[in-house]
Amino acid sequence: MRPLDPRLVVRIGPARRYILVTAGLGLLTALAVAVQALLIARLLAPWLAPAPLADDGLGWLGTIVPVATRELSTGLPLLAGVIALRALASWAQERLAHRAGARVVSELREQVVAHAAAMGPRWIASGRGAEVVTVVTRGLDDLLPYFVRYLPQLGLAATLTPLLLVIVLGLDWLSALIIGLTLPLVPIFMVLVGLVTRDRSARHLVAMQQLGARTLDLIAGVPTLRGLGRERGPAARVRDLGEAHRRATMGSLRVAFLSGMVLELLTTLAVAIVAVTMGFRLVEGGIGIETALAVLVLAPEVYLPVRNVGTHFHASADGLAAADAAFDILDEPLAAPGGNDPAPALRGRALTCDRMGIAVPDGSRLAPAHVTTTLLPGSITAIVGPNGSGKSTLLLALAGLLAPTRGSIVLEHAGEDDGSGTSLPGASGATVIAADGTVAVDVDAWTAQVAWVPQRPDLGPEARTLSLGERQRRALERAFDSERPLVLLDEPTAHLDPVSRADVVARMRALADAGATVVVATHEDEVTEAANQVLTVTSEQTTVAADEESQR
Amino acid sequence: MSAAPMPPATTAPRALRDALRDTGVKPWPVVRAILLGTMALGSAVGLSAVAAWLIAKAAEMPSPADLALAAVIVRFFGISRGLFRYLERLASHDTALRGMVALRERTYARLASAGAGRVLALRRGDIVARIGTDLDAVGDAVVRAIVPLGVAATVSTISIAIVTVILPLAGVTLAAALLLAGLGVAALTARQARIAAEAGVAAHAAMATSSLAAIESAAEHRVWGTRDEALDEVRRADRDAEHALELGARPGAIGAGLLVLAQGIALIAGIALAILAIEAGTVSGPWATVVALLPLAAFEAVGAVPAAVQQLFRSRAAAQRIRELTQPLAGGAFAEPGAALTEPGAMSAADADRAAASGGRENPGAGPAPAPEAPHELTLDGLSVAWPGMTPTHPITATLRRGEALGIVGPSGIGKSTLLLAIAGAIRPHSGAALLDGRPVSPAHTGHVVALTSEDAHLFATSVLENLRVARGDVTEGEALRALDAVGLTDWIAGLPDGIRTEIGSGGHTVSGGERRRLLLARAMLHPATIVLIDEPAEHLDVEGHGALRAVVADLKARDRIVVIVTHHESPLEYTERRVTLHE
Repeated sequence: MRPLDPRLVVRIGPARRYILVTAGLGLLTALAVAVQALLIARLLAPWLAPAPLADDGLGWLGTIVPVATRELSTGLPLLAGVIALRALASWAQERLAHRAGARVVSELREQVVAHAAAMGPRWIASGRGAEVVTVVTRGLDDLLPYFVRYLPQLGLAATLTPLLLVIVLGLDWLSALIIGLTLPLVPIFMVLVGLVTRDRSARHLVAMQQLGARTLDLIAGVPTLRGLGRERGPAARVRDLGEAHRRATMGSLRVAFLSGMVLELLTTLAVAIVAVTMGFRLVEGGIGIETALAVLVLAPEVYLPVRNVGTHFHASADGLAAADAAFDILDEPLAAPGGNDPAPALRGRALTCDRMGIAVPDGSRLAPAHVTTTLLPGSITAIVGPNGSGKSTLLLALAGLLAPTRGSIVLEHAGEDDGSGTSLPGASGATVIAADGTVAVDVDAWTAQVAWVPQRPDLGPEARTLSLGERQRRALERAFDSERPLVLLDEPTAHLDPVSRADVVARMRALADAGATVVVATHEDEVTEAANQVLTVTSEQTTVAADEESQR
Repeated sequence: MSAAPMPPATTAPRALRDALRDTGVKPWPVVRAILLGTMALGSAVGLSAVAAWLIAKAAEMPSPADLALAAVIVRFFGISRGLFRYLERLASHDTALRGMVALRERTYARLASAGAGRVLALRRGDIVARIGTDLDAVGDAVVRAIVPLGVAATVSTISIAIVTVILPLAGVTLAAALLLAGLGVAALTARQARIAAEAGVAAHAAMATSSLAAIESAAEHRVWGTRDEALDEVRRADRDAEHALELGARPGAIGAGLLVLAQGIALIAGIALAILAIEAGTVSGPWATVVALLPLAAFEAVGAVPAAVQQLFRSRAAAQRIRELTQPLAGGAFAEPGAALTEPGAMSAADADRAAASGGRENPGAGPAPAPEAPHELTLDGLSVAWPGMTPTHPITATLRRGEALGIVGPSGIGKSTLLLAIAGAIRPHSGAALLDGRPVSPAHTGHVVALTSEDAHLFATSVLENLRVARGDVTEGEALRALDAVGLTDWIAGLPDGIRTEIGSGGHTVSGGERRRLLLARAMLHPATIVLIDEPAEHLDVEGHGALRAVVADLKARDRIVVIVTHHESPLEYTERRVTLHE
């Protein structure tokens, strides 16, 4: 995981403005804090000096905060003004900060959803769909702190720390030297601590994650244990595992918190050393009280941006991991079939499936296997067969959404002159989906002619409150009214009452009589009785022999 | 789960209180963590105060010996801050982790003893998806909310005390400013968190639903040209979430500004009062400098309040979800016969009574363990089940004697799995009854007389042998190997690095879908119950898998068991004497 992921940085786009605004406000705040420190020194110094102050203790910085501010009547209103400015900057910062990331995260989310939606039905059915939803909702939300806090802080640490160091240098070179020498120690020591403890913390982390997963594993298994009457035993094991998890975690934290301690130790100790050194130099008259007060107040501020980078990086680590997952999804090539040939008009033309077979995702079976049939315009074809035999898959292939593993789909010439049913090259008959699984035609133009009704139609947000049966009825209505030439219905009567079922059968008949090609996957006798032909599909185990045969 | 109605906000604080009580965290470890945190941030305040005194005193040009003690203290605070912070983090995390151990155990025990119908109807995904992060969020309440808030209170008090001792009036202004910052910011952050919980959570739920719909129904959207509409819906939900952030940013921004302003007021008042006191000669220069500069360090602890308040809200929501998961009352509770058409989530008084009975009083660990005798006959008498709002399943009537099997076949979503829950005694039927020797099954039978293996049954992250011993604790290696042989896993076992003692599941050897099913079948086969219910999944049952199922059913029948299989495939019906096909 990189602190500055280039894939994320290029996506910032219009949000760059807000990241710059956030960083600009951070800069403004830090400069206001510096002026505040100088003002405090101006105000207090005259009252603490043993003799009236002759010199300007702030050197060239005196041009920014003039000597006149030593007067309460000038200094205090100015201080109040600086504080008001800081309050305003803090307000604006919090008001706008989220804009630096929210839109970037939204756009990334929308891209991932669109990409996943285009990955094709097989990829989605493999369970990746649910995984993508987890990544784009919970995961990417954690990315917000990366843009809102971490990136601006990184910019501030790079610019502000040197700037504040220059201001301290303008006041007192010795203090600037102490700070300048300790500052690089912060990253150096953190890296060293990280290196020394890396193996140890990696080992602890593995043990910790395993034990944590096992505890959750037992909780996740409660329904199973309950079904087998064995739920009472593992409670003690949950405790033992939890106890082991705690010990492993503490071991890991003892090491992990070390780098935090080094950070705090170095930064506070450096401030303390600066203070003590100045104290003894004051006694010897090596430094003025005005200068010393300004440095004392400024010193902790120099370290602040560096400390903030460390804090915010940990806060956005989860989000970066989710971004990695999101980019992995975007990197997956779109497997959707589709060529550039213009899709032929389907109306009035017969479709032939020639020894067509489609493998299940793990390749172990063909479901359906060996489909050879001709689907004629003006007829209803019922597809029957046991569950898992590939009825829905066949409909997906006919809709152009899934390429067959074997065989082809051939669009016959229009009219009666081609009764042979063989595939003819050229204009009259065209192989739209070839044996090697490539789809020659433009899929979107093909699907636009298909009225496909899946088993659990979605129909958008309004329909989601409807019952499954009602949604099914609406989806069928849409298909029946679409006047598309190829009608593919997946168990259309499954959630309907007898009256609606009869209506669906009648509408199917009417569509066929009007010249549409109707294909319907079904278990219902009343549907198969209405069909002109009944096609039984079967699944088949994939064997090495069959593979060789197909290659021949 | 996301469809569950939003819990009333008033119950969430109680849920967190109860969850924290479940952690068994005693006050002392928390107090110790707060004390260590106070030492850490107190060191920062101390460093600031003593350094201010040191510089101002040095300006009077005393002998260096007068500064020696102050110099030592400044260096000490320079070191102690990091050290105590380290110790505080370890102490608070240790306290929280100890609490988590207890909370996990208690959550497990609650789940295990909740109503059988409630637990068995839980999907594994529901449990895994949230409970891990939710349990952690309750622990975070200690580390990230309670301890920082406690430290903010103690460090503020110490700062006020230091200033008050030197210059009482400045102490009053510092106290007022700290109170304004602490309480004002807490109230504004709470407002922001509430907006996030209301508008934000709704937008996030819409985002999840629309994303899922856009992805899972992608094929349908493509065919009907509604892809852009589906993506627009995601975009709309995104914009709503951004709007919620925008709304929440308003009080949050005011809080951030207020914090700076309060510190500024304390600083200006401190400087002015310090200078007036020096002028009047009531306070010496060094001590007045302490008064003037202390506000710079005193507000660091209060600065942690916004994050702590937000964590408190997150932990409350998490505690609420854990409570819903383990509570016997569920939105999908079973309807009374004839009440199936009531709205989803509606629950009759009888349901509530029953839920209370099964979840509260009928704790298997409390009373005498139910020991029903082995029945001879299972009768399904017009048995039909229904979730609220769902059409009841077609009534089933069948009588099975020992050594007989029943196959229930039908399309997915028709209620076959629910039917098994009713036969297992976990839930009440919509109508009709499942009878053991003429007496209705009850939750006391579940898992003991009637064993249920659901289609998403869990394989534990332990050895193959221990996974089979889930069925019966005293399964010997020989018995295990015989059962694995019956389901056709002998070759698979032989190929495993440690044979039957190979670790499987998360972190262990990966198990394919087919192997998983067969392991679950072997487990069902080893269970001592008289009646064995097996819910077969739609996928992952290849030809060999069918062979395994056939072997298991034959073995169970030969040992005089009663077997009920629910399946999507026709083939298991070849070896069940009785079969029922479910239509809608």
